[in-house]
Amino acid sequence: MSELPLQSTQPMLEAVNLTKRYEDGVLALDRVSFQVRAGEIFAMLGGNGAGKTTTINLFLNFIEPTEGEARINGIVTHLEPLKAKEQIAFVSENVMLYANFTAIQNLDFFARLGGQTHYTRDDYHNVLLRVGLAKEAHHKRLRGYSKGMRQKCGIAIAILKNAPAILLDEPTSGLDPKAGHDFIELLASLRAEGKAILMSTHDIFRAKEIADSVAIMNDGKIIMQRPAAALVDTDLEQLYMQYMAGRSSELVG
Amino acid sequence: MLRILIEKEIREIIGSAKFAVIFGACAILILTSCYVGARTYQANRAQYEAAKAENLRQFEGMTDWFNIQQHRIFLPPQPLASLVNGVSNDIGRTTEVWGRGELSAQDSKFGDEPIYAVFRFLDLEFMFQVVLSLFAVLLGYDAISGEKERGTLKLSFANAVPRDKYILGKIIGSLTALTVPLVVALGIGSLLLPLLGVPLSGDDWLRLFLVILTGLLYFAAFLTLSIFVSARTERSSNSFLVLLVVWILCVLIVPRASVLLAGRAVNVPSVDEIAAQKARFQQQQWHEDRASWSNFKPTKSDDPNAMMDELNRYMEEQADIRDKKMQEFTARLNEQRYNKQVEQQNLAFSLARVSPAATLSLGVTSLAGTSITLKDHYNDEAKAYQSLYANFMKEKTGTNPGGRMFMFRAKIEDGEEVKPEPINPQELPEFEYHQPDLAQSISAAALDMGLLAFFNLLFFAGAFVSFLRYDVR
Repeated sequence: MSELPLQSTQPMLEAVNLTKRYEDGVLALDRVSFQVRAGEIFAMLGGNGAGKTTTINLFLNFIEPTEGEARINGIVTHLEPLKAKEQIAFVSENVMLYANFTAIQNLDFFARLGGQTHYTRDDYHNVLLRVGLAKEAHHKRLRGYSKGMRQKCGIAIAILKNAPAILLDEPTSGLDPKAGHDFIELLASLRAEGKAILMSTHDIFRAKEIADSVAIMNDGKIIMQRPAAALVDTDLEQLYMQYMAGRSSELVG
Repeated sequence: MLRILIEKEIREIIGSAKFAVIFGACAILILTSCYVGARTYQANRAQYEAAKAENLRQFEGMTDWFNIQQHRIFLPPQPLASLVNGVSNDIGRTTEVWGRGELSAQDSKFGDEPIYAVFRFLDLEFMFQVVLSLFAVLLGYDAISGEKERGTLKLSFANAVPRDKYILGKIIGSLTALTVPLVVALGIGSLLLPLLGVPLSGDDWLRLFLVILTGLLYFAAFLTLSIFVSARTERSSNSFLVLLVVWILCVLIVPRASVLLAGRAVNVPSVDEIAAQKARFQQQQWHEDRASWSNFKPTKSDDPNAMMDELNRYMEEQADIRDKKMQEFTARLNEQRYNKQVEQQNLAFSLARVSPAATLSLGVTSLAGTSITLKDHYNDEAKAYQSLYANFMKEKTGTNPGGRMFMFRAKIEDGEEVKPEPINPQELPEFEYHQPDLAQSISAAALDMGLLAFFNLLFFAGAFVSFLRYDVR
């Protein structure tokens, strides 16, 4: 697994006219296109059913696109899923992991599953400390962990995989403000390492705070996509509410 | 990759509280069934020895072998029958042996002590068939659907994990984690047997090994079935429900229903019907014989002993003729009944073999020598003994004890009655029961062991194919 240079111009994550229509006829994603380069964070905002998780599932090849392609480092996910997955780490909305395992055991299993067999116990302790998990908790079974603690383990697993791209599905959902803040700092450091990060979130403020590009999704479409720099003086919450209320046509202009 | 998945599976199962509780219960039950089996064997052995001694004691003080007409033989308790009861408690264990005629075993364990028939025994077969299969379901029902519910499946497949390796790792890991501790418990239980006074021959050890192997194949079949069903369902609660229904059908319904269906489909004449026909024929024979007795004219009417000897010989000749006719008639009836029974049994067993539970029962009872053929085998052994006994008595008395009249004979020498010496009952030939040949037992169990292996492959393939299309989200 090779790490890409920080200032790569090639997109690490790319959706090209990505479309997904389910067997029951529901159009979950409608010709979505975007790019995320190394060292960039791309935030997808939107309500439930907007298509954010479907987009992530297409990148993970959990489902296949009806049309279009999801590419990771140039690899089309539904054509070469295993090769594509070597380039990606994933943190779900509600990281559960194995409740009978300790944090270290969970890390060890998922790191080795991700092809990283060279880590030592110290590496596991260090990464857990880096994500903010106190040392006393490292050897405790996850059964007694809070959601925030499990989320930290999930991030640690993603870091250990050392993949050039990271997918985050609602990563700050249910975290307390301090944990949310710590998480954003962590994302910033990962970006600084050159990771391309695609994040779906409901959290407008965190998105504005950390993302390099923000897209608002509704009914399977990207209805607004702007670089963060263009949103500095914009009330993103108001903008989001307006788009959600269906005023996209007048606002886009 | 496969190794990582297998290791994870083993570690996850062994570290779970569910496993600790279930395995603890299994180990206790397995050891208990071995202990109970050993104690039962010892108690049965003591009863057997006492009955044998009592049988010989009744002849003590007798002075003429001529006065012994019949005696009893007993089916000796077999070490493996205590672990795999099969039909051993249902069939008669005591047989009255005359010099000739039909043999019928009486006094079954359940007949003598009906309390045991109410709930049956906690033997190894019960352990496998009911307890371990249920535990396999409890340990495997959420193998895939549970991982999906917990979100670990999604996280695992965010990595470059081929699905075939994942399901292979799951199945191999589960089988290893669950069967190795069982093997340990079964091994300890088996080693306890000789320590508890159950003598096991080389043959017995091999039989016991094959019984355990068959039981493990059965356990593995339920485990792979559980993983298969789990890979066909989205929620573990649904998987559990489906498996519970399948378990009830396999363990409780199918074996019983197949016997009922076969009973309906093939009509076997009842024992009473046969007995009535035999009785009628016998009565007819007696009437015919009685008419011929008036033709008996002793040649030496002045010597009472010679006259009685002559009468005995005549009666024996009559008995031989009567016995031959009766034997032919009985053989015909028995053969007809036996053929029908075999037809019914074959149908019942073929239907029942759809269920792994029935297959297990048929396999392990064949290996332990306690299958449905035990009754016929014991009868054959008793028949072989009967001719041995008849020859012995003929040597001692000059006649077969089955056809003569009971009488008192006095030995007269020089016109005086000689005080007779008591006979030694220990001279009676001993009944030696031989278990069915090991090769014969293995050959009888081979179909069932093969079927259990086939069930494993079938469920394995089902789980494999289902998981290749499983929605891991």
